[in-house]
Amino acid sequence: MPDIEPFTPRGMFHEGWTAEVNDYAIACGWALKGKQFIVGDVAGGLFAFEGDTGKIIWKKENTHSGGLLAMAIHPDGKIFATSGQDGNVQICNCHEGKVIKTLDLGRGWVEHLKWSNDGFFLAIASSKKVYVFNEVGEEKWISEDHPSTVSAITWSNKNELATACYGRVTFFDILNNKTNQKLEWQGSLVSMELSPDGDIVACGSQDNSVHFWRRSTGMDAEMTGYPGKPSHLSFDDSGKLLATSGSERITVWSFIGNGPEGTMPGELCHHTEPISSLAFSNKGMLVASGSRDGSVVASFLKKDGNGDPVGAAFAGDLVGALSWRPDDCALAAVNAKGVVNVWEFKVRTNFFSKGFK
Amino acid sequence: MSIKDKVPVTILTGFLGSGKTTLLNRILSEEHGKRIAVIENEYGEVGIDQGLVINADEEVFEMSNGCICCTVRGDLIRVLGNLMKRRDKFDYVLVETTGLADPGPVAQTFFMDEEISSEFTLDGIVTLVDAAHIDQQLGRSDESSEQVAFADVLVLNKTDLVSVDALDNLESRLRDMNRMTRIIRAENAKVPIETVLNLSAFDLDQILKRRPTFLEPEYPFEWTGVYDLDAGKYELMLEEGPDPEMSLVALVNQGESEEELKDGAESSVRLYAEKANTLEPGNTIPYGEHINLKLEDKGNKSFILNIEKPSKIGLFTQHTAEEFNMKVIKSEENNSKEMPFITERFWQAEHEHDDEVGSIAIERFGDVDPEKLNTWMGRLLSEKGVDIFRTKGFISYSGNPRRIVFQGVHMLFTAQPDKEWGNEPRRNQLVFIGRNLNEKEMQEGFDTCLI
Repeated sequence: MPDIEPFTPRGMFHEGWTAEVNDYAIACGWALKGKQFIVGDVAGGLFAFEGDTGKIIWKKENTHSGGLLAMAIHPDGKIFATSGQDGNVQICNCHEGKVIKTLDLGRGWVEHLKWSNDGFFLAIASSKKVYVFNEVGEEKWISEDHPSTVSAITWSNKNELATACYGRVTFFDILNNKTNQKLEWQGSLVSMELSPDGDIVACGSQDNSVHFWRRSTGMDAEMTGYPGKPSHLSFDDSGKLLATSGSERITVWSFIGNGPEGTMPGELCHHTEPISSLAFSNKGMLVASGSRDGSVVASFLKKDGNGDPVGAAFAGDLVGALSWRPDDCALAAVNAKGVVNVWEFKVRTNFFSKGFK
Repeated sequence: MSIKDKVPVTILTGFLGSGKTTLLNRILSEEHGKRIAVIENEYGEVGIDQGLVINADEEVFEMSNGCICCTVRGDLIRVLGNLMKRRDKFDYVLVETTGLADPGPVAQTFFMDEEISSEFTLDGIVTLVDAAHIDQQLGRSDESSEQVAFADVLVLNKTDLVSVDALDNLESRLRDMNRMTRIIRAENAKVPIETVLNLSAFDLDQILKRRPTFLEPEYPFEWTGVYDLDAGKYELMLEEGPDPEMSLVALVNQGESEEELKDGAESSVRLYAEKANTLEPGNTIPYGEHINLKLEDKGNKSFILNIEKPSKIGLFTQHTAEEFNMKVIKSEENNSKEMPFITERFWQAEHEHDDEVGSIAIERFGDVDPEKLNTWMGRLLSEKGVDIFRTKGFISYSGNPRRIVFQGVHMLFTAQPDKEWGNEPRRNQLVFIGRNLNEKEMQEGFDTCLI
């Protein structure tokens, strides 16, 4: 029967739970293997909800005077770190939200936090400096001043940290206090993502372009023509697809074969206003996007970066952050009004696609 | 989001010591009902914590394309990006830059970055100058002349430390550099808050409603003297001077405050626009009329001033009193007494100026050809965009019933239709502020666009 097509994945957002926090929600994440969901608002309020029901477990207010800037949950899900305009970093336990350690880094804003994949180190960016502490809050390494405020940090492997600022990406061996590599580009880098193997570096630039480097070959490329600055980047877990956005459109570059240089990227046009959050699922080629208009869409991508929406929902207002539950069976969105939405996410496929069931 | 929903931002520039911190504190401590967030680049002593004060280092980010108009301020993008998430906490933003800041990238940030321009609107650029030191600073640094060039409002601060003459000269020098700006004199940064906040300086529609022209008037007279005179007959005595004649307007009840002088100047400008009546020596000077004193004869010439009741008389003269050694004499039977003026004021006169930074104004009646204008402007901005700091103007496009208003910062340029012309005579007015601009060439260029 020639008119029967292969059964493509169909997914939907099913009703989960909603909750509210006090202010504009800027950060969120799953803890305790998905049993808990933590939300941080711009005023410094922190809220932990039961992952399944949305019942509040604990909450704290005014954790950072001046406001919260970043939150990162430890890979084992038992502790998390927050930072703010007060120049402090707090490491807390997830069960009760109790502060285990407070780090005072001075008067600058502490804007970025990243745990290393093995959870041994916490990298912290504040103004022109980057710090590395261990999980109990002991200082392990401090960078020299960068040429400008550090705009993004990420771990390239367990001991190597990448930092982005105006004009360059730098890789530091933090155990041996050594600079491993400097990638230079005259432009203001506003975002950075690495492929999971740490080889591909992608940076969004203020001049509405995305710049790539391949560390192994030293090749680099610039993808121009974005209508806005690509603040949002996300790699899939295989490192083959990079979703990027600086407008209402999502551009997906495929690194399969000789790409993405000289290839046409995939394009996803599901939103009416610019993207405000972008997140690949933990496994598989499913990307969730949230927009300023409050729409949330999950798209299933093909190898060339094109794809189809498999589910959509309305989060009510500008989507501040998105987070897939570790098992990818739920997606959380927090918005500018402080509303938390968690949807169960179910996909039926005729083959057992990697990552969802 | 319409412009009304966007948070207005005022940029405060000026050299170190010009009084920015004093002005900032004054704004923050005054009861104006506004919740103001302050971004400070200069780590001064803002002693007040009722505002939301954020310190940030200036970070000027040039783009890889090397285009000067794409240069933005990374620190502002970062801080404002965070502030917009807290916009219910404040309704106004003040950015205080360092004395060395180039206002270009600061202004461009509000046009070039979509995230910022969707939430914030640049309300105006206020530049403070230290009246006692700006003369030297202008000679020494590009930054200070650029800050003057970019200003929507210039606060001439610390006027108590400088003589009135020096202030007048300074004001005329600053006015030459930037003919769009409003100049306010102040001691200790004491200025009414409404003169620096909510200017809507980038909302040309609003500006033109308040003031029908972008240009501060250029006065047809150089000097004003105010004389406090009792009733009686006086002589206005002039010696030989540089010209065989001189225009004059005499006003009764002329006040001596700056504001009253400006009002008087406004009236005189209108009177000067009328045809002058020639007056031979020995005749009585009428009040409130444009007259032309005949000064061809050798030696002293005198004219009569009749004062019916005690009054302050303002003389608005084409040249300065000094050039003709002009005096008001009270002649009594046996002695004559010189009556000194109680105040004098110099006005900007057209003259060559030495500053590299200056204003060029083009005013023409008639319509322009939109295509020709686009070509001309496009070429002008691509060739001279680096040196053109700000542009404002309105244009009459042939066939378009509405006035087109436009403005630019360097090569960034917007034009939009404004109100209908109606019965008003169609005309064009462009003002360019920049460095080493060739007035003649630009005027000729514009003239080729006229129909």
